[in-house]
Amino acid sequence: MNRAAPDPKQNMGKPEPRLEGRLKVTGEARYASDMPVNNPAFAFLITSPVAKGQITAIDLADAKAVPGVLDIFTHENTGDLKHLKYDPQGGGGSTSIQDFGPKIQHDGQIIGMVVADTYEAAREAAYKAKFEIATEKPSAGFHSEGVKEASPKKSEPKAGDAEKAFDDAAVKFEGWYGTPTQHHNPIELFTTTVAWNNDELTVYEPSQFMYGLKNSLASKVGVKPEKVRAISHFVGGAFGSKAQLTPRTGLVALAAKRLNRPVKLVATRDQGFTIATYRAETQHKIRIGAQRDGKITSFQHQGWELTSRPDAYAVGGVEDSARLYSFGAVKTDVKNVHADRNTPGFMRSPPVVPYIYALESAMDELAYQLKMDPVELRRVNDGMKDATGKEWSSRSLMQCYDEAAAAFGWSKRNAEPGSMRDGDWLIGWGCASAVYPTHMGPAAARVQFSADGQARVQIAAHEIGTGILTVVGQIAAERLGIPVENVRVEVGDSVLPPAPVAGGSTQTASCCSVVAKACDAINARLNANGGTPAPAPRETVGTGTGRNHEETFARLGVATLEEYAEQVPKEVKPNPVMGLVVDPMKKLYSGSSMLGGGSHAEKLMYALGAEFVEVRVHRLTREIRVPRIVGAFAAGRIMNTRTARSQYMGGMIWGISSALHEATEIDPRYARYTNDNLADYIIPVNADIQQLEVILVPEKDDLVNPVGVKGIGELANVGTAAAVANAVFHATGVRVRELPIRLEKLLTA
Amino acid sequence: MSEQNQGWSRRNFLTSTAASTMSVALLDRAAGAAPADEPKADPRSPVSLSLNVNGSTRRVALDARTTLLDALREHIGLTGSKKGCDHGQCGACTVMVDGKRVLSCLTLAAAAQGREVTTIEGLASADGTLHPMQQAFIDHDAFQCGYCTPGQIMSAVACVKEGHANSESEIREYMSGNLCRCACYPNIVDAITGAKPKMKEA
Repeated sequence: MNRAAPDPKQNMGKPEPRLEGRLKVTGEARYASDMPVNNPAFAFLITSPVAKGQITAIDLADAKAVPGVLDIFTHENTGDLKHLKYDPQGGGGSTSIQDFGPKIQHDGQIIGMVVADTYEAAREAAYKAKFEIATEKPSAGFHSEGVKEASPKKSEPKAGDAEKAFDDAAVKFEGWYGTPTQHHNPIELFTTTVAWNNDELTVYEPSQFMYGLKNSLASKVGVKPEKVRAISHFVGGAFGSKAQLTPRTGLVALAAKRLNRPVKLVATRDQGFTIATYRAETQHKIRIGAQRDGKITSFQHQGWELTSRPDAYAVGGVEDSARLYSFGAVKTDVKNVHADRNTPGFMRSPPVVPYIYALESAMDELAYQLKMDPVELRRVNDGMKDATGKEWSSRSLMQCYDEAAAAFGWSKRNAEPGSMRDGDWLIGWGCASAVYPTHMGPAAARVQFSADGQARVQIAAHEIGTGILTVVGQIAAERLGIPVENVRVEVGDSVLPPAPVAGGSTQTASCCSVVAKACDAINARLNANGGTPAPAPRETVGTGTGRNHEETFARLGVATLEEYAEQVPKEVKPNPVMGLVVDPMKKLYSGSSMLGGGSHAEKLMYALGAEFVEVRVHRLTREIRVPRIVGAFAAGRIMNTRTARSQYMGGMIWGISSALHEATEIDPRYARYTNDNLADYIIPVNADIQQLEVILVPEKDDLVNPVGVKGIGELANVGTAAAVANAVFHATGVRVRELPIRLEKLLTA
Repeated sequence: MSEQNQGWSRRNFLTSTAASTMSVALLDRAAGAAPADEPKADPRSPVSLSLNVNGSTRRVALDARTTLLDALREHIGLTGSKKGCDHGQCGACTVMVDGKRVLSCLTLAAAAQGREVTTIEGLASADGTLHPMQQAFIDHDAFQCGYCTPGQIMSAVACVKEGHANSESEIREYMSGNLCRCACYPNIVDAITGAKPKMKEA
């Protein structure tokens, strides 16, 4: 049996293999740094060895003496670059710290770049460039002197009198939780290649937002957007790190212009920790008041999130934690703590990974306090309305719990901590909810359909590994009534019609909706000319069987029909932070992605899931293993059970990683990252993962968008860390409230 | 104060290491070996190399410090092997040298002279038929973004050939040098389990 290709259940598409599969297994898939350019020069970045200070002198004599060096760029000769507006909502620059000096505002800030005939010469020269820096003492994190607390402009749900409800509650719980700094660390490095042709430039850079890259780079170098073409056919992992323009891109473009030669930069792994964004550390205070039957009457969630000095980036996951259950009353609050660090940004499931970890840990603690089964505690608080009275569009949380619990064998659990053993191994079982808002953005697409039953779909979407090529192919096949093999899908190029940012799990819903619209327009023209009507879409989820339109096309006197479509979800409203009312499609073309849905829609739109984890903790060494994990997820229509299962699987492993492995360590004295490489920044390897089961729970929701798809890329790594932490408590009786859970934290018990 | 300012840096360490590694490699090969008493050449000046990649001879003139990975990607035009860390920590650059898996980012191009290098581009048959491992990776959806995939597949083929694919746990252990951030590990194990009997047939 092939576990990778689950049989589709109701409202699920076939497990079609990925359209680009052959390219990826033969090495023919071209990622940005694989694109051939004519006679490239090679760049190597110079980054600051201190987190705070002022460059007082630069001596490049030794560096320039290295044979093959063409030029060296520092703050002294890069003033032509424009400052890009920073928006914490995304789009535009990844940080407002875009200068290469003289002021140094974080560890690893780019302070220079060498360009040479060879990579080896550029690297040698980069290490020979001398920068004198007047160093100042930086503030590294939450507990450092000199940090500043401020309120970011984030939504903070409130309903009822949560404080009074807490005071009146029969059962009270209060807890603190913390999550660490994390870096996306896609295996593909941050690369940029720029080639100019007179006043036009082409940028090859891995991107989650082609139109953002195009427009932002145009602003950065001061040319009109139509002079910029961005190409990124395949992205070697992104996870949020490739959605905004980082300072390196403008620098490479400037260098290529000055040298009149294509310039190629492949930043090193350690530089990747400081030249792009990351998930900032967070702290949480949770207060819950409940009745003895488990009904929660008061939920209060305060979050603190670290950020850079100038930028108020916050994920503000209270927006989601406050709505996950039918709480009686809620009160929430989010604070930024500004320190001398690079600006954080979106990382897989930005708001919910830290905030739902805190909530779902607290739920488990409350269940123990109430002597209730944690699944039953969720059931008691399950409901179709949140505390503010807003209704859910669809909600299959308890179906997920019931299916996953049955597959896991949860009923055999003895709730007493430390009660389940296998020789020297303490066994723990834990569970938690997964949740992610269903977003959707404006999108445009072009579809061509020929008399021979072949289709071509063009949309500047992003193949970051989610399977967008395949599911777009499937929706076109389904709507046009042709086999998926007959569809050619083109993505990853800014000359194609724009897709929204491949972030916030928007891509499948947004792209499939607009491609379906374009196909329907083609069908309408065919049908008006006596063509065979396409089969009803929902009966043939994700694929078609074949239609012959030769006669109809002959009547129309054309060989091919082409339709361009735009789709603006009705949920897209102008961003209140931006203030201005503009046409969302125009905004998309100019490089900003406006997302609708989630908690801001008419109804609460979310995908949900439940995860069950077994951990084994060694009695003496406290080694922690995860022998099995089961997740059940409901997310509206599933376009392709194969790619969906893989995304869930990857997400669950990300969750295990958050729980047990990942953390960027910071030297509190110097505000520098100390484990900035893949040997010391620990992510799971193959041997860390054993049994993993994904259950696809059927769900139908026609409210969310025209194709009924909820995003799934960011769902499955939410809650996992809490499930692991809850299982570790069950195994050992030790409640670890600061991630990651490493064995030293269990040694004291 | 800064790393760059110190007289002794990682860079000149690498430079001298590169030089000595190269001379060892050259002395290994009788043909083209430089006499040992010749004045030490600038390691930056191009070294002429003849590399055997996927059955073809490729002649290149490279800075002696060039890694096999950069030689393949930047000078020979085979971009299937990927750079993920350049430190031997991720496995994305895995290729075969004389039938054994090596990390091409930790191998100097000069050290590969006279050896048979096989990259992901050389795995399928000349008629385009995929190697059973490549097909198994597609069937078992053993990749998402696909960036680590060439290295995973080269390692997977080696894992089977080495005789380290006898159980799921053994596969997991012997595939743990290849990181997959999309985390397709269970599917990679299934792909290797599925391809193993077909590799014997082939």
